Amino acid sequence: MASVDLRGLTKRFGALAVVDNVSLKIDHGQLVCLLGPSGCGKTTTLRLIAGFLEPSDGEIHVGDRLVSSKARTLPPEQRNMSMIFQSYALWPHMTVTENIVYGLRLRKLDRNIIAKKLAAILGTTKLEALAQRYPGELSGGQQQRVALARALIVEPETLLLDEPLSNLDANLREEMRFEIRRLHDEYRYTTVYVTHDQSEAMTTADLIAVMNGGRIDQLGTPEDIYARPESEFVARFIGASNVIKGTARDADHVSFAGATLKVVGAQLTAGQGAVVAIRQHDIGLSMQAPASSENAIKAVVTRQVYLGASRDYMVEIADGTSLRATTPTETNVPKGSEVWLTLPPERCRALSR
Amino acid sequence: MTAITTTDAPKSRLDFTRLILWLFAAFMIVLIVLPLSWLVLFAFTDKARHPTLQNFVTLFTDPAFLDPLLTTAIIATTSAVMCCIVAAPISWLVSRTDMPGRQIIRALVTASFVTPPFLGAVAWELLAAPNSGMLNQLYRYLTGAEDPLFDIYSLTGLIFVISCYTFPFVFVLVANALDNMPGELEDASAILGGKAWTTARRVTIPLALPALVAGALIAFLQAMTLFGSPAILALPAGFHTMTTKIWSLFQYPPKLELAAAAAVPLLLLTILLLQGQKFLLGRRGFSVVGGKYGPPRSIEMGGWRWAALAFCLIVLLNPVFLPYFALLNAAFSPNGTTLVTPSTATLHNIVFVFTELSSTQLALKNTVILGASTATIGTILALVVAYVTTRRVIASHRMLGFLATAPVAVPGIVLGVGLFLSYTRPPIVLYGTLWILLLAFLTINLPSAYQQLQAAFATIHPELEDASRILGATRLQSLRRITAPLLRTGVIATWCFIFIGVMRELSAAIVLFTSQTKVLSVLIYDLNESGDLAAIAVLGIAMLVITFAVVLAVNRIPMFGGAGARLRNS
Repeated sequence: MASVDLRGLTKRFGALAVVDNVSLKIDHGQLVCLLGPSGCGKTTTLRLIAGFLEPSDGEIHVGDRLVSSKARTLPPEQRNMSMIFQSYALWPHMTVTENIVYGLRLRKLDRNIIAKKLAAILGTTKLEALAQRYPGELSGGQQQRVALARALIVEPETLLLDEPLSNLDANLREEMRFEIRRLHDEYRYTTVYVTHDQSEAMTTADLIAVMNGGRIDQLGTPEDIYARPESEFVARFIGASNVIKGTARDADHVSFAGATLKVVGAQLTAGQGAVVAIRQHDIGLSMQAPASSENAIKAVVTRQVYLGASRDYMVEIADGTSLRATTPTETNVPKGSEVWLTLPPERCRALSR
Repeated sequence: MTAITTTDAPKSRLDFTRLILWLFAAFMIVLIVLPLSWLVLFAFTDKARHPTLQNFVTLFTDPAFLDPLLTTAIIATTSAVMCCIVAAPISWLVSRTDMPGRQIIRALVTASFVTPPFLGAVAWELLAAPNSGMLNQLYRYLTGAEDPLFDIYSLTGLIFVISCYTFPFVFVLVANALDNMPGELEDASAILGGKAWTTARRVTIPLALPALVAGALIAFLQAMTLFGSPAILALPAGFHTMTTKIWSLFQYPPKLELAAAAAVPLLLLTILLLQGQKFLLGRRGFSVVGGKYGPPRSIEMGGWRWAALAFCLIVLLNPVFLPYFALLNAAFSPNGTTLVTPSTATLHNIVFVFTELSSTQLALKNTVILGASTATIGTILALVVAYVTTRRVIASHRMLGFLATAPVAVPGIVLGVGLFLSYTRPPIVLYGTLWILLLAFLTINLPSAYQQLQAAFATIHPELEDASRILGATRLQSLRRITAPLLRTGVIATWCFIFIGVMRELSAAIVLFTSQTKVLSVLIYDLNESGDLAAIAVLGIAMLVITFAVVLAVNRIPMFGGAGARLRNS
């Protein structure tokens, strides 16, 4: 069993804490995404797990072994992990086959076993025809598959992926996303996946840890993160959200621009400032006043763009706040018109941070 | 707990590699800091080691020292200007025009680059000595005049010969800047209405100017610190430069304190000039390198292209064609300067050098031993330092990198003086052994070796090593199986570079050699003193042959991995 357990992990470069007291328990066989903007500490966290860096504080346990702590750090080669690098890091002086079997040769496996495993992984990654090529002769997607094969053939307890798809074009990226998930389901190793792309995280992860400023801002399933953001940062970073700032009337009502919004999510305290997030496509927009006045606000359209599958509106409310709304193409309101916005209460999430 | 036992071992191994690295650091300090400390100590003390400034007072008041100082300034300045005047047009023609034979011109400039300057000086003795010089013979034969046309034993002659073998430094820098200048920058000027000349004046020249000035500084430095050419040409003419003066202070009775003091201005000026060069190149010169730019367009010269080629060839007559012709001729000629014809050709010189001249064998052996060992140790040293600095393995990597580059600022003769002072007294007496020469050559060649290998390391993405580590290889295994094969070309090039550097080194060797530790360059210098120019020609050619043979041989050794490995970075 190889669960990965980060306990109060901290990495400081000088005075700057790049990873700041991160605790995260990843069960065996789970795929966890570290998601966040560049500079949020996700790659540093990954390199700490791999053992390329020594923590300034905190501990990393793999299974029941302590592998990293302030006092001692097990070097990467003794961790039984594999890693796929952003640059792929394929060795240009070795053929595809030599690259892939490198780890097995280090483990001094029998020649026949190596050949058998090689054939199997070449099949899985569809690389049979390219086995004798050099990395310089492969396309980006092929290189990516070699990197994957090289990492998987050693049957690691833990697989680490550092932005593995960022160098691929959009179509290939989508295809490889599912490929990575499929291989994970097939082999069931514990996987830590670093990315800044939220849709990549959504499609591959069991759990997403959204990181910001060296800390984990929110940890949850893709659905948790998307539908129930807890902080302004997560709401803005995942999907397209409007963030409204108003004043709490009671535990689940917020006054905002003369209207009262019923909200869900965090418990509010009357009289305090409240931050509410709502997705652009959850906002209803129409010329007629809605039947119920609950959560309805009047606004003026300041911009409208036809996007093919939808329309993108920018509207302005009486107090000057601008909101964006995405509607079906049938809702066609010209710029300058007065409209009614409906913000469904179950979609208005009060944020705790 | 098993956790503790598994994590103990790697920690201690890590400390082991650090220990090795600290040993390297200590070695480098001894290599560079020790001789310079002795140099400074001697410069500021008298014979009883009491602190004094008397050495510098003598240096700056006694005409015997003031004149060489002035002469050196004149030589360095004039040579630098000459080099720029010659190198700038050639590098522009080679880099930016459709002149025919551009590659050949580049190769010929490289040929003058690798020619040891003292060999060039001897060749010009053969050509333009007032009485026997072949060009003067030709002149007298053609005109019937009595007086010689050229006198190489003069300030002008010396400046000329120094410039011949210094202008490649300027050429390399300027041609490099022009080669790397994005064509778009000139196109942008053209599309805005700039005519060819306007574009050249407003865009091309300003962009190349820092490289030219930096080249001029390097040329100044070379001319200032050169020992061979002034010793061969200025001493017979009866004047001294700073380097020959320092050398003469080592002759009996030695005045070591004055020699040390005389070395200090050379050292300071070198540091100053190098800082200036760094400043110039750092600001603009090469800042345009990189990015996705197209190659520059070449300028069509029409009928002028042949005239341009003729100009380049005439210039290259001086450092390459004439000297090499003179050397080849001398090797087979009865007295060095008689034109070889089938009836006068003789093998006597070759027989003399290799069978009768007693020191040839010794000098050849010493040179090859020193060349090979300096190249091997120097490459390993530079490799480790480059690894540490590019991968930041230990905290003090900056200091290590600085130490490896510092000798650049120490002229050969200054280092020679420093080493002489350090190792002629207990506890370590190395004077009279090959070890002291090894230390000198190692120090002199370390900076360029380090820079070459650092550049090679920079092209290898650190993730290539990380990937090997995470798959189960130790740091050493990763270095051997991943990094070493990828560095192979760079390592071989560096080894050859150092070997060639050792072959042509004279200015430190001249202070440090003894009769048992003579090297080829010193032997050539000795033979020049005794006027045996034909023997020098034979030795000079032998030197070039050895260089080529070694370079070829080293390239064939499958040092790391398969020779067929394709070095391509994905």
